[in-house]
Amino acid sequence: MKASSCKKTDRTRRQFLKLAAPLALSLAAPVQAFDLFKALDPEGKNEDIQKAKQAVEGLSSIVQSATEIDYKTEFAIGESLALEGFQRYGLPVSDQGLQKYVNTLGRAVAGNSIRPGIPYHFVVVKSPLYNAFSCPGGIVFLSSRLVSSMEDEAELACVLAHETGHVAHKHALQSIRRAKFFEGLGKIGTINMEGEEGEKYRSMIGDLQTVLFDRGLDKTMEFEADGAAMEFAYRTGYDPGGMIRVLEALRANRDSATIKGSWFSTHPPVGARLERCRQHLEKYPDASSMARVQERFLDYRQRL
Amino acid sequence: MEKKGKLLLYALLLVFAAALACHAAQNLWVSSQSADLKAERSISSETIVVLERGTELTVEASQSRWYRVRTPEGRTGWVYRGKVSEQPPEAADTGSGEGGGLGDMLGDLSGSSVDANAADSARSIRGLSPEAKAYARKTGTPEESRKALDNVLSLSVSRQEVNRFLKKGEIGEYAR
Repeated sequence: MKASSCKKTDRTRRQFLKLAAPLALSLAAPVQAFDLFKALDPEGKNEDIQKAKQAVEGLSSIVQSATEIDYKTEFAIGESLALEGFQRYGLPVSDQGLQKYVNTLGRAVAGNSIRPGIPYHFVVVKSPLYNAFSCPGGIVFLSSRLVSSMEDEAELACVLAHETGHVAHKHALQSIRRAKFFEGLGKIGTINMEGEEGEKYRSMIGDLQTVLFDRGLDKTMEFEADGAAMEFAYRTGYDPGGMIRVLEALRANRDSATIKGSWFSTHPPVGARLERCRQHLEKYPDASSMARVQERFLDYRQRL
Repeated sequence: MEKKGKLLLYALLLVFAAALACHAAQNLWVSSQSADLKAERSISSETIVVLERGTELTVEASQSRWYRVRTPEGRTGWVYRGKVSEQPPEAADTGSGEGGGLGDMLGDLSGSSVDANAADSARSIRGLSPEAKAYARKTGTPEESRKALDNVLSLSVSRQEVNRFLKKGEIGEYAR
């Protein structure tokens, strides 16, 4: 009895090990996972492996449709979210010179990001919260309060690069990949605003609002965006230490700040971010010799 | 049989040595939107050619924040370090859904591939997309929010403006 039980456990363990690799691979590289399934069971006779393969097929089609949809759909989602963003956080600061300045800097940094080919748009909104967020497709919001807390252009470049990093990595879309809207949607999606499809779309935008305005993205995504911020800013020619100075200013202002709906509630604790950013900074030994550009920044900041 | 084995071993050793030799030469890839190959280690020097994103370069030397590189066509010049990386970039995502194509062509004409790509999907010219307009209608979005987004999407910045901005601030390849 014991011997047969051991044999059964061994067989289960072997099956598990056989399936673990392709399942793990499926999240990172679905194509390779299917190759592995084929290698394990070339004739398709093993029921367990075939079931696992079907599960991976379903999972990867959802993952792909959410993060590999065409740019037109991605941008339309971003526009819808931006319309909600103005209602939640306030309207743009009216000074067009300031908006142009932020856009020029943002596009300079985005040009050195890992996704430089899409059009990015940046807007500073009148808001007392310390906040910034990015909509899929490249519409980036910054609050006037957050900009007011900065001291130079390198700091602003880092925040714009942080948000660019979210867009480039498609973090927001990854966060809502299980929304019903994406089920069965091909890479080239069409958005129907009417009937059940329209409801699914609006529900998905609601999910995005919850993620970006209230709950926040996964903390690993935020750490990734902080690293991207420093890298894109450095590649453009700015001091990547600007990211650290922004976070230090945030920490200093925490006691007097409104927490709900701000970077304090939607992002990981400032201390944890600072620790990682300081580790990142070691990659840039000449960081302190890079541009900070204080005078031009302060000229624009005083317009707020 | 023994001879065949030895031959195979030598062949393998040769392949291994060749692979090592290839690996020894440092290669970089253009990872920014584009990169100017300059005749001298200075932004004000002649631009030999504008390199496309993804172009593989062989490093011949490095000095300060610049690399002297050779292109696959055999051209030699200097490239700013912020424009290249040690890994090839992911496939281009131009926002048009069709690679660089029309977006890049319009970019050359208008001086801004960023805005050209947006124009490609008729966005920065006409403001809100039909989908966003339909969403606004369905959700009763206030007119002021629609106008706000329209203004944000209409603001254009050309590549030349970005370069002038960086030059004025002495940033990156414009640093003294």
